[in-house]
Amino acid sequence: MINTKRKFLEEPDLILALQERKKIGADALYEMYSGSLMGIVQRVIEDKEIAEDVLQEGLVKIWNSIQQYDPTKGRLFTWMVNVMRNLAIDKVRSKDYRNHSKNQDIENHVNSIDEQRNSEYKPEHLGVKDLLQKLRPEQKVIVDMIYFQGFTHVEVSDELAIPLGTVKTRLRMGIIELRKYFK
Amino acid sequence: MNYVNILNKLENIKSYIESGILELYILGDLNADEKSEVEAMSKLHSEVRAELEQIEIDLGNIAENLQVLPSDNVREGFFNFIQFSEEENITPLASKQEAKVTSITQKPTNFYKYAFAASLALLAVSIIALVNVNNNLNNTRQQIIALQSSNQNFANRVNYLDQEVTKTTSALDIYSNTDYKMVKLEGTDNAKGAKIMIAFNSKMQKVGLDMKSMNMPKNDSEHQYQLWALVDGKPVDLGVFDMDGNQIGFKEMKNIGQAQTFAVTLEPRGGSINPTLEKLMVIGNI
Repeated sequence: MINTKRKFLEEPDLILALQERKKIGADALYEMYSGSLMGIVQRVIEDKEIAEDVLQEGLVKIWNSIQQYDPTKGRLFTWMVNVMRNLAIDKVRSKDYRNHSKNQDIENHVNSIDEQRNSEYKPEHLGVKDLLQKLRPEQKVIVDMIYFQGFTHVEVSDELAIPLGTVKTRLRMGIIELRKYFK
Repeated sequence: MNYVNILNKLENIKSYIESGILELYILGDLNADEKSEVEAMSKLHSEVRAELEQIEIDLGNIAENLQVLPSDNVREGFFNFIQFSEEENITPLASKQEAKVTSITQKPTNFYKYAFAASLALLAVSIIALVNVNNNLNNTRQQIIALQSSNQNFANRVNYLDQEVTKTTSALDIYSNTDYKMVKLEGTDNAKGAKIMIAFNSKMQKVGLDMKSMNMPKNDSEHQYQLWALVDGKPVDLGVFDMDGNQIGFKEMKNIGQAQTFAVTLEPRGGSINPTLEKLMVIGNI
């Protein structure tokens, strides 16, 4: 059923392997998705070391809570992205992280923590400019904040003082633009 | 397109999709009510389902496009943190059987390995022992051959001595026996200084030559000495003999009861019917 020599599995096989806690499942999970998930985490957390800690924690969490994943409600990757994003956002908002960032900032003589994260949008440190350049500026901000930095649409609405509906439709339009880019 | 009318959602699927709520659903950015609503819509309308799937594909594409390779210690940490089920509940029977099989086959494998090694060692020792034994056997054989030959020599010597003793004893018997008369034959001009002692027993009609005391020139291979007895003037043949210098004891000649003179001539080998008087060597009267 599952070719044990392949590290890349079709999604149903991967799900089964993870549910049965087979090593091939862990291998395939890591080989197929660690890069993409690391990208997601690093959009939220700049510090590579901390991002890797979160990635590792997230992979372990995915492994341990695979029974909570319901294949009828969406793709495995979507579920994993949300596990990762939630962990990353929790981390960014934790006291540890703020202290860490503060130390970093003091050491580096950079800005204060309030500017670092959570209340202000800073597109220049995202490293997704190429992708986002496909978008109109008003879409770009919203896609970036919601998709890559883990803001909720309510937070973005507050932050940018834009109505919720507008945030959602701009997000939608931005995604449609990116979809063209990938086709 | 830029308006969202919540009241129209249920009637207008297109505007529902375009409201952007599906993207938020995929990102988990909805409250419980909104979430149930999306799930219900997805069950009712295939367009909603298809769009959700497409948004998921978009997310995958975007993430793939922006992926960053983590360092290897993430993998290490991840694999150290998790446990696999292969040993516990998925294939416990198989792994246990495997363990049993290996434990059963392990022992004989080792046993035969050691047995084979022991056999080789034993073989080597045996070969060395065999070579040693063979060498010893050869030595012993040579010793036996040497002993046999020396034994043979000794036996020969004993035989020789025995014969000498016998002959000497019989010679002594003859000399001490008063029935024998010793006759001394002196050399003629043909053999000056030669001499032969003859023991003559007229009662037993026996004639013996004392070979040890005999002093005659050595005869060649074509000639032999012949002993004659003169009986009433007539020569009687008493047999032939050789002079080689190594003889002992008495050589018994042909029998005769009476005679007056003994004489020895040199004759062609085998003897002659009549003595050749020109070759008369020794002569003596009784």
